[in-house]
Amino acid sequence: MPRRRDDDDDEMDAEEDEYDEQVMDDEIDEEEEEEDDRSSRKRRRSQFIDDVAEEDDEEEEEDYDDDEDYGGGGGAARKPKAKRRSGSEFFDLEAQVDSDEEEDEEEGEDDFIVDGGAELPDEDGGRGIHRRPLLPREDEQEDVEALERRIQARYARSSHTEYDEETTDVEQQALLPSVRDPKLWMVKCAIGREREAAVCLMQKCIDKGSELQIRSAIALDHLKNYIYIEADKEAHVKEACKGLRNIYSQKVMLVPIREMTDVLAVESKAIDLSRDTWVRMKIGNYKGDLAKVVDVDNVRQRVTVKLIPRIDLQALANKLEGREVAKKKPFVPPPRFMNVDEARELHIRVERRRDPMTGDYFENIGGMLFKDGFLYKTVSMKSISAQNIQPTFDELEKFRTPGENGESDIASLSTLFANRKKGHFMKGDAVIVIKGDLKNLKGWVEKVDEENVHIRPEMKGLPKTLAVNSKELCKYFEPGNHVKVVSGTQAGATGMVLKVEQHVLIILSDTTKEDIRVFADDVVESSEVTTGITKIGDYELRDLVLLDNNSFGVIIRVESEAFQVLKGVPDRPEVALVKLREIKCKLEKKSNVQDRNKNTVAVKDVVRIVEGPCKGKQGPVEHIYRGILFIHDRHHLEHAGFICAKSSSCVVVGGSRANGDRNGDAYSRFNSLRTPPRIPQSPGRYSRGGPPAGGRNRGGRGGHDALVGTTVKVRLGPYKGYRGRVVDVKGQSVRVELESQMKVVTVDRSMISDNVVVSTPYRDTPRYGMGSETPMHPSRTPLHPYMTPMRDAGATPIHDGMRTPMRDRAWNPYTPMSPPRDNWEDGNPGSWGTSPQYQPGSPPSRAYEAPTPGSGWASTPGGNYSDAGTPRDSSSTYVNAPSPYLPSTPGGQPMTPNSASYLPGTPGGQPMTPGTGGLDAMSPVIGADNEGPWFMPDILVRRSGEESVVGVIREVLPDGSCRVVLGSSGNGDTITALPNEIEIVPPRKTDKIKIMGGPHRGATGKLIGVDGTDGIVKVDVSLDVKILDMAILAKLAQP
Amino acid sequence: MFFHIVLERNMQLHPRHFGRNLREHIISKLMKDVEGTCSGRHGFVVAITSVENIGKGLIRDGTGFVTFPVKYQCVVFRPFKGEILEAVVSMVNKMGFFAEAGPVQIFVSNHLIPDDMEFQSGDMPNYTTSDGSVKIQKDSEVRLKIIGTRVDATEIFCIGTIKDDFLGVINDPTTI
Repeated sequence: MPRRRDDDDDEMDAEEDEYDEQVMDDEIDEEEEEEDDRSSRKRRRSQFIDDVAEEDDEEEEEDYDDDEDYGGGGGAARKPKAKRRSGSEFFDLEAQVDSDEEEDEEEGEDDFIVDGGAELPDEDGGRGIHRRPLLPREDEQEDVEALERRIQARYARSSHTEYDEETTDVEQQALLPSVRDPKLWMVKCAIGREREAAVCLMQKCIDKGSELQIRSAIALDHLKNYIYIEADKEAHVKEACKGLRNIYSQKVMLVPIREMTDVLAVESKAIDLSRDTWVRMKIGNYKGDLAKVVDVDNVRQRVTVKLIPRIDLQALANKLEGREVAKKKPFVPPPRFMNVDEARELHIRVERRRDPMTGDYFENIGGMLFKDGFLYKTVSMKSISAQNIQPTFDELEKFRTPGENGESDIASLSTLFANRKKGHFMKGDAVIVIKGDLKNLKGWVEKVDEENVHIRPEMKGLPKTLAVNSKELCKYFEPGNHVKVVSGTQAGATGMVLKVEQHVLIILSDTTKEDIRVFADDVVESSEVTTGITKIGDYELRDLVLLDNNSFGVIIRVESEAFQVLKGVPDRPEVALVKLREIKCKLEKKSNVQDRNKNTVAVKDVVRIVEGPCKGKQGPVEHIYRGILFIHDRHHLEHAGFICAKSSSCVVVGGSRANGDRNGDAYSRFNSLRTPPRIPQSPGRYSRGGPPAGGRNRGGRGGHDALVGTTVKVRLGPYKGYRGRVVDVKGQSVRVELESQMKVVTVDRSMISDNVVVSTPYRDTPRYGMGSETPMHPSRTPLHPYMTPMRDAGATPIHDGMRTPMRDRAWNPYTPMSPPRDNWEDGNPGSWGTSPQYQPGSPPSRAYEAPTPGSGWASTPGGNYSDAGTPRDSSSTYVNAPSPYLPSTPGGQPMTPNSASYLPGTPGGQPMTPGTGGLDAMSPVIGADNEGPWFMPDILVRRSGEESVVGVIREVLPDGSCRVVLGSSGNGDTITALPNEIEIVPPRKTDKIKIMGGPHRGATGKLIGVDGTDGIVKVDVSLDVKILDMAILAKLAQP
Repeated sequence: MFFHIVLERNMQLHPRHFGRNLREHIISKLMKDVEGTCSGRHGFVVAITSVENIGKGLIRDGTGFVTFPVKYQCVVFRPFKGEILEAVVSMVNKMGFFAEAGPVQIFVSNHLIPDDMEFQSGDMPNYTTSDGSVKIQKDSEVRLKIIGTRVDATEIFCIGTIKDDFLGVINDPTTI
């Protein structure tokens, strides 16, 4: 259509979209587009209405059209037209609607329309379609002049074309179709091809001219599979449909006269638009966008709305400069505030004009008006929808320009309440009046009628109940109320009201500790604490899930249809919105990883992040997957407290909770010394992944390479086939301590394979461990050094004779182990906790350990034993205990006989080396001090050798280590310390003490005097005065 | 608010503790069990001051455990809506700050911080007035009013405000 060329390009789009609307909407749309076009013909018409001569031709033409329209296709009125009837003329009359539709499918038809349609207004054609059958016969007889007069009179009165307003009821009645009017036939057509069928019919009309005797074809968007054809006779319909493959004309149904109007009836609802109402655009580029009404012209049925412009400045610039513009843009520009400077940069002319009416300044760019970045657009009322507008907060937020204080916007939210559903208010709800004389009156709902809500006002001196229109009421909340969101996007969440901004509440969510904004309407008071919806399908909040693209993450929020997932990307928090179907599965595998210090981390262990963006954060591990930890930090507010970190950038803090007897997790802050694993565990645990690395740390080597400590096999070179433990890595060379020879060799890194799974790693564990408590492991320890020479011997023939079986037994951790394990079971750490009498059971095992240093191999980490390995060296008795033993250990020489003698003796686990004598010698010691001074809760301790660092033992863990609270009064951090790291603070006179040993163990008292190594103690409960060894007295922590 | 009240509790004791120190065992177990806990009705049990009465024990069939009804006096701390508290700021972030008054954690949202205080991120996140005279950061002491409480099984969580007269910083660690 030629007019289109004058249009702004966004209006072009608008038009094109308009054509998507169903036929009946065409009228509306065209009105709009015409109005938008500032040189609207209609307006021109009204302007020149007196100047008939000038506009005569055009008017006349239109009159004819109108005449046609009103004539309903009757013969008489058609006469004057008939002589002018040509293809093009016909097109205007009959097929205009179709031309509209055609726009969609065939752009190419444009030209044709230009020829044919010429200057004829579209709306007449569109109107014609559904006017015609409604027109009374009388009109047909009216002569042209009369019609002209009538139309002129109409235009003189008002400048718009909303005819409906003029027509009275009687006239309306008269318009109803009668038996003499052409009938409407319903014809079946291919489903989904309704429009196409109608267009085909139009095309046929154009081609065949007057041969085709149907009057119109109508495709309704809401009616599938059928089109309507207006014709006098069924035969005409069949004729017209002949040869069109989309139309099945076998069955043509007549639409009863009474129902004819319904076919084309447009359901229009009265829209109550007022300023500041939120509306949505129905059509055009802005379809679906939220807009705010700034001005309403009820007379013209036009509305000025404020929109966030969707304008492609570059395209606009191109167009204004007359450059080639792509005919149809493939995308709709995103909404963005207009930046005048940016526009100027692109050499777009920006005019600043003052609106004469309001006095506001607008920027005029290419015919569009902008203010504060918003686009002000005047549109037809029918192109916006004001029903059920539920703007989201995001949208509203955008409309709030920085300059505005938001008051007006919030106030306008009240218009939203018009869409409230019934039963919104319940008895007992606290409400506030927001409109009218009673504004700001608070009260409680007593009764709800249809429209009115009876409230019991809070203020005294008012009637007992007041009836208020529900639209004037809003739910009322006070900060601190605990509420639940019952509808809207946040439905299900609960939280406490932080702030009330008129109808918007700011709520601190219980789960996420984030503030969320909700409408007061969506909220009810509730004491319930929920997390909102926490589950969709199988997936729940905090679950670890595997996603489509093999990435994974933890669900940190469940929304109505999607999850927010914190992805397992350690460098930065990456949150993805994931639909249910994008989740592959839940990951529930429990796995352990190693932290920075090669200590094992399991789920629920507390770790601290020591590097990366979340450095310093600390919390329990919730999930572990592919070396990534998901840590939940209560104080971390983002992502529901979840932090994602690499396991290698974390350290375990304190002991492991998940598994008391697991080793490798001890990292004590107490003396910042990496402590060795406390309790070795059953050998089977380490079948994978090599030995835990705690022991290595003990040996003074930092965990600088993952390879260090692993058992490898040399693949190439002179040591091919040898197995050994890696003791150091330097660049490409690796120093390997060979198992079979007493030496450390250097081999190239490429020459080793490190995936050796042998039983050897087990040995390492117990040897360095404080495994002392469990007899079984240490007992294995000596085996190792003793075995090694045997291997050498293995090279000799003797070996085959008798050694092999023995060695096998020795090597197999299970055979010799079984009996000691029974012992160990007896000494089940679980029961040790606070019952000290069991503890002394462990010393023998320590004695077993002793041979290790005794073997005198400097290269074995066991060499460190004597200084670090003695547990509880603070307890004087035990410091002494090993000493008699050590000398008795033959320095690693008598291996062969020794081990031989040992092995048979394994069941008892006692006699093994000449040193056994030492062991026996020790026994009395054990017996004598059966209730040795073991740490107890509530006593003051200090870090070994340091006076200043004191703490209070809170709990003695089953493995002998203690949970210590730093600070003399026990108000500092809690750490886990090994017995050898701490020592008792010796009490002074008048100190409160606790007795750690002897028959009074556990009793508290007061130290009333010191006599050499004896203390004079007044026991609290019995008030007895006792003389006890100072070594078993510990200072009690001040409560 | 602190209260000194009498509470009752049934203590189960393992038979191994029976003997001379039975009473002591019960008391120490009671302290261990009760102190630091939180109930919705009474709030946090801060400390047991004395044990009024230990009733007769009842042996449980099958287990050998004995249940003693224990009456004890204790100090409890329960925050109330509208109560004014002094608390130490433990964490500051853009959404507000957390303060601790003993065992109670109180969140003061930025909506409830006076509007003239702005969040300053950085090494030491804080809220500062435009003239810089007042600063809320970690370890600051603030006086606040509790406007809402939520009681969980194990903790009481409060929301506070400092947007009122005489509320706000009372002691700034930097000025000491």
